[in-house]
Amino acid sequence: MDCEQLAPLYEEYALGVLEAEERAEVEAHLARHCAQCTPGIEKARWVVAQLAHVSPEAQPPESLKGKILDAAKASAKVSEFSKPSPPSRAVFPIWAWAAAAALALLTGYSIRQMGNQSTQLAALRQQMRIAMLQNKALQDQLEVGRQIAYVMTSPESMPLKLMPKDKNMPMVHAYLHPHMGVAITAEQMPSMPAARTLQLWFVPKTGKPMSIAIFHPDTQGQIAVIAPVNMPRNEIAALAVTEEPAGGSPQPTSNPAWMAQVN
Amino acid sequence: MLLAVVQTWREGNQPTDASLMERIVQRDAAALETLYDRYARPVYSLVLRISQQPASAEEIVQDVFMQLWRNAKHYQATRGPLEPWLFTVARNRALDFLRLKREKQRRREDSVDFDLRPSAVVQPDPEGAMDQSRRAQKVRTLMNSLPEPQRRAIELAFFEGMTHSEISTAIGEPLGTVKSWIRGGLLRLRESLEEAGS
Repeated sequence: MDCEQLAPLYEEYALGVLEAEERAEVEAHLARHCAQCTPGIEKARWVVAQLAHVSPEAQPPESLKGKILDAAKASAKVSEFSKPSPPSRAVFPIWAWAAAAALALLTGYSIRQMGNQSTQLAALRQQMRIAMLQNKALQDQLEVGRQIAYVMTSPESMPLKLMPKDKNMPMVHAYLHPHMGVAITAEQMPSMPAARTLQLWFVPKTGKPMSIAIFHPDTQGQIAVIAPVNMPRNEIAALAVTEEPAGGSPQPTSNPAWMAQVN
Repeated sequence: MLLAVVQTWREGNQPTDASLMERIVQRDAAALETLYDRYARPVYSLVLRISQQPASAEEIVQDVFMQLWRNAKHYQATRGPLEPWLFTVARNRALDFLRLKREKQRRREDSVDFDLRPSAVVQPDPEGAMDQSRRAQKVRTLMNSLPEPQRRAIELAFFEGMTHSEISTAIGEPLGTVKSWIRGGLLRLRESLEEAGS
């Protein structure tokens, strides 16, 4: 497919309406970093995105903004505190409570010194709230870690090695558990731009691949993900990981970067 | 030219998306709040239209804005405006949710009707989003001007994530007709937006 043939398909490609074969041809062309078609596709993505405005206007719940801002602030605090030397997961909750206690003592002292009790109490409540959110985030992280460890060590799990297409890339390990889902782990993964993501697919013996999880390596290049599985093990032909645009794709748009057959 | 027009549309009294993204890199939650105020409504509307479930739509929107917060340092204003990125991420997440839901339904042979309406219909924001509002109106006018089957075909592609052949089956029209409708409709949309941006 050359540029002239591809140009009328820009918007249809961006809309995701092309069939697999046609989409693959467009992808193959774009993979050559075509100077004419790449900006054409970017513009088409903008045009297609405007169809969002056809949605009936709806007001998000009042509480949603607060949830997002609280989560953002909590994650910023966690990042700040964990910068000097990342502590182990197990000590996080104790540390968070210790931090909360220290902040409470400090705030109490300030109250006595400044005599402005109401302002200081408000600050204390805010700091306690942040500490509790940090604690909750870390507890969640710990719980995910526990689940992954359980799936990795369970005799019911089927371990799989997803081999990289590029031999310089690390191997991705998957553990398929009949009830808990699939755990994915990897180390020394290269960092990825925000505009791209990794997407895990289950390839059934018949039918189209099913998206299972979208993930990024963390700042240390590690992946530790657990996701539910809605496909019986005997129907799965293979597991594959592809690189996709941010937010993931309805169906794979590139060849698998990692893959494992399921026997 | 169209992208350049859109990239500068926030210039004036309001901070641009790019300047807000720079502040988010510095962990400025107030900048995230401004972007939320700017885009939460259309993003939520889109996700709710696709997912049809307010609780799930809320989770997806939270996920989208947290991704924005976490990955702001990778944002490159030169590569295009923020709005389509947000819409694209939100659409993909919502379509993923929709497919999982359908798959579960298929497996259970369940026929639960998820036809929930939006939680509230709102009036357009009177200030601060005139260009966005004008563009939105342009898109709605164009879509409303299309014959119903053509509009339906485009909506099935955008909101349901269907391919040409799936749409052809869903609406019982020949594949060639469906392709022609979608291509023609998208061409008119592009021309209409270019006209609005010039």
